[in-house]
Amino acid sequence: MDASTAVRVLVIVALLAFALLALPILLSDYWIVVLTEAAIFALVALGLNLLVGRVGLVSLGQIGLLVVGSWVAARFFFLTGLPFPIVLLISGVITGVIGTLLGLPALRLSGLHLALITLMFAGLVSIVIPTVNFPNGGGGVLGHTESSFGNPAVRRPSIAQSDPAYYRYTVIVIAVMFLLALIHISSKAGRAWAAIRQSEAAAIAAGVNITFYKLWAFALASFLTGVAGGLLAGDEGKLYSIQFRTIDSITLLAVVMMGGIYSLWGAWIAGLLQQLVPALLNDWFGFFERNPDFVLVLFGVGILQVLVTAPEGLVNQVPKDLRNLGRLLARLAGKATGRSRPAT
Amino acid sequence: MIEVEGLTVRFGGVTPIDGMTVTFPGGTCGLIGPNGAGKTTFFNVLSGFVTPAGGAIRAYGEDLLKMADYRRARWGLRRTFQQEQAIERLSVFENVAMIHEHSSGSRASRQSAVGDALAFVGLEDVAAQKVGGLGAGARRFVELARAVVGKPRVVLLDEPAAGLPEEQTEQLGQVIRAIPQHFGALVILVDHDMTLVSACCETTAVLDFGRLIASGPTADVLRDERVVGAYLGTEEAV
Amino acid sequence: MFPGLADYKPFLITGLALGGVYALSGVGIVVLYRATGVLNLAFGAIGAMGALLSWTLINHTSSPHWLAYLVCVAFGALVTFAYGVIFGPPLARRDPLVKAMGTVGLALILLGIMSYLWPPKARTMFLPSTSWQYHIGFAGLDVNWTQIIGLLFGVLVTVGVAAFLRYTRLGTAMRALADDREITSTLGVPVRRVEAVAWLGSGVLAGFSGLLLSDLVGLDAVGLTFLVISALAAALIAQLRSLTVTLIAGIIVGLCTALLTPILLWPNATFSVSTYRYGAPFALAIIALLVMTRGRRVVSISRTDR
Repeated sequence: MDASTAVRVLVIVALLAFALLALPILLSDYWIVVLTEAAIFALVALGLNLLVGRVGLVSLGQIGLLVVGSWVAARFFFLTGLPFPIVLLISGVITGVIGTLLGLPALRLSGLHLALITLMFAGLVSIVIPTVNFPNGGGGVLGHTESSFGNPAVRRPSIAQSDPAYYRYTVIVIAVMFLLALIHISSKAGRAWAAIRQSEAAAIAAGVNITFYKLWAFALASFLTGVAGGLLAGDEGKLYSIQFRTIDSITLLAVVMMGGIYSLWGAWIAGLLQQLVPALLNDWFGFFERNPDFVLVLFGVGILQVLVTAPEGLVNQVPKDLRNLGRLLARLAGKATGRSRPAT
Repeated sequence: MIEVEGLTVRFGGVTPIDGMTVTFPGGTCGLIGPNGAGKTTFFNVLSGFVTPAGGAIRAYGEDLLKMADYRRARWGLRRTFQQEQAIERLSVFENVAMIHEHSSGSRASRQSAVGDALAFVGLEDVAAQKVGGLGAGARRFVELARAVVGKPRVVLLDEPAAGLPEEQTEQLGQVIRAIPQHFGALVILVDHDMTLVSACCETTAVLDFGRLIASGPTADVLRDERVVGAYLGTEEAV
Repeated sequence: MFPGLADYKPFLITGLALGGVYALSGVGIVVLYRATGVLNLAFGAIGAMGALLSWTLINHTSSPHWLAYLVCVAFGALVTFAYGVIFGPPLARRDPLVKAMGTVGLALILLGIMSYLWPPKARTMFLPSTSWQYHIGFAGLDVNWTQIIGLLFGVLVTVGVAAFLRYTRLGTAMRALADDREITSTLGVPVRRVEAVAWLGSGVLAGFSGLLLSDLVGLDAVGLTFLVISALAAALIAQLRSLTVTLIAGIIVGLCTALLTPILLWPNATFSVSTYRYGAPFALAIIALLVMTRGRRVVSISRTDR
């Protein structure tokens, strides 16, 4: 492992430790809940980040899949006594399968057509939800009853019942998911995706089976979204107040773009942007109480700014700055110990 | 040897290839013709991006058109594109290795296969450098390395020297000439630079309006009246 | 189970009227796309804000109504044109997806502004033409002039724009631009002027359709913004090309949504078709997209920046 990678790993570990240990002590319960949601959305953003940034497929239907994931998890909480992590895996896998199936017709589309068709899917889901009174929480497999307000069985892992504990649990699960994504990117699949993103023709000419790898990308992104849905289902009460509107699929893409699509860090920034910023604005500028949708202006401006000036998003600056910081530290360390660079 | 018989391609009212019949005997073969003659379309048919309306292509006795597009690389088809396809933020080695990874797969042979390709084109010294940092000439050689790594059987080169100064074009030409001997592959070279074509190719085929109008030893073909006419335009009544 | 013919009749009228407006919006979308490569997804949002401005002028100032309506249309033209002037050039060479995303950005900005200036509250837009009712004796139907205007203008705009494209110099230039940008610009065609006309024209249609829809459907920012999907569905069914098909498709989309409304009991009371009728445009758009690309092999050759 070379020096710059070592620095990066250290920074990640430090941030993770800070998030897990320090934040729950420093912040009130309200903010811990907000951060939990930010983390969950960071996971959804990760899925989209992979699709858009790594493979070049713009999908606007991720929120629809989030709904599927949380519904599956809620059902399994209600119908079975399976341990929490197993339910997470199940909702991930089922959502992954559904996402892959949805990806099939999308395979021969790309660019604008793919974005439009996924947007239509998200729209359809957003219309079905209020009419079936999701999440409803009625009995049976479908979980639907005539009355509007059922009580979905919300369950949390036995080791993480309180809000701060659930927050830590969530962060750890998500860190594991990021690791999964990272492993994919440095593998043969990641290289195939990079080739596809650059030029499908050249990828085919190099022997890449683009159908297979595109489906794999859909499967992975959907799996991640399904796990996020499961985590959401465990977030007591949230399942009601989150509206899975079509516009949320759009703002998700907006924040992923703003966070930066070429780096996984961007997904974290995206999650924070989507959940934390509105909450902050709500808190600091009481007048946003009037209508939280005003933050849409920020996202709209963000999209335009990214498209026109920095197609790689805000995040590409961060790794560069970190690297420069690392080099500066190394130089300072060299000077401090009086050691000079060996002559080459 | 590649045998093309009665190949026809149609899309949207245009017929870019119209009953093309030609044999590429082996070694380095040139494919020339005025703009729009169908040369890149022909390459796209070979790569599998375009489905012909009719005709057949047999490469080394095998029916190429029956193979799925991505399988052709595994079979031994390689090509370059008019637009550079190397990924800038990866190193030269990684770019060439990527081709090997998906067309040959065998991890054990990767290091030596990539090393061999890089040494062949003369880039072994910059193997670890990012492609983004290389000059235009070196990048062309990267594309060439990507087109010969592994066990290529047919190498398609689409204007590999476009935009290069004369000296580097000559260098490129020398490397291209050596491909059949070093790798045992058949090379089809499309280019507008006649000096390069004469220097590299023993035989040349000429396309015009999607049809073959001449083929044979390069020197003879380049002198053929019909070929000159195709490039300059004649006053033949239609 | 199924409603009788009499139950469908009123919805036939609303369907046709809405269909006409979707058609004229669809025409605005198609022409702009063909001339500039930009699929304007902010079409609905622009119309919505224009309508809200009109509403404010009518209900909170003493402006004459005709002025308020003019403001709506002018607003539509102005915002669309301004977007085209500011964001057209920097994005001109990019992928159609990137250009469409830009309009999504515009839509978000407008939605945010609308939600701030006009907090959610029931508002109605009542065009004077709505009070002029007309009774079609032989069919036993009531129809108001706003509905007639909707359908009528749908047809007129389609015919008018088609004629413009065919018979005027500027229109021919626009068609040339749509077919092949690069060659056209080298032929001495005033590309900027042609594009400006396209932006302005589609902006006028955005404002006008916003005004009509605010009366026919309701004055709700989010609802009006998403009605662009219906116009989009019509445009997609026409493969973003033929204006005649856009007209027919627009009317079909309008009729589909409207005629599903009375089906309240099928398949059952809870999951009736009627409750999902707003999904019809989405479903139609999906079908249009799938049909549009069937059999086509999309293989990108060069890197496109996103």
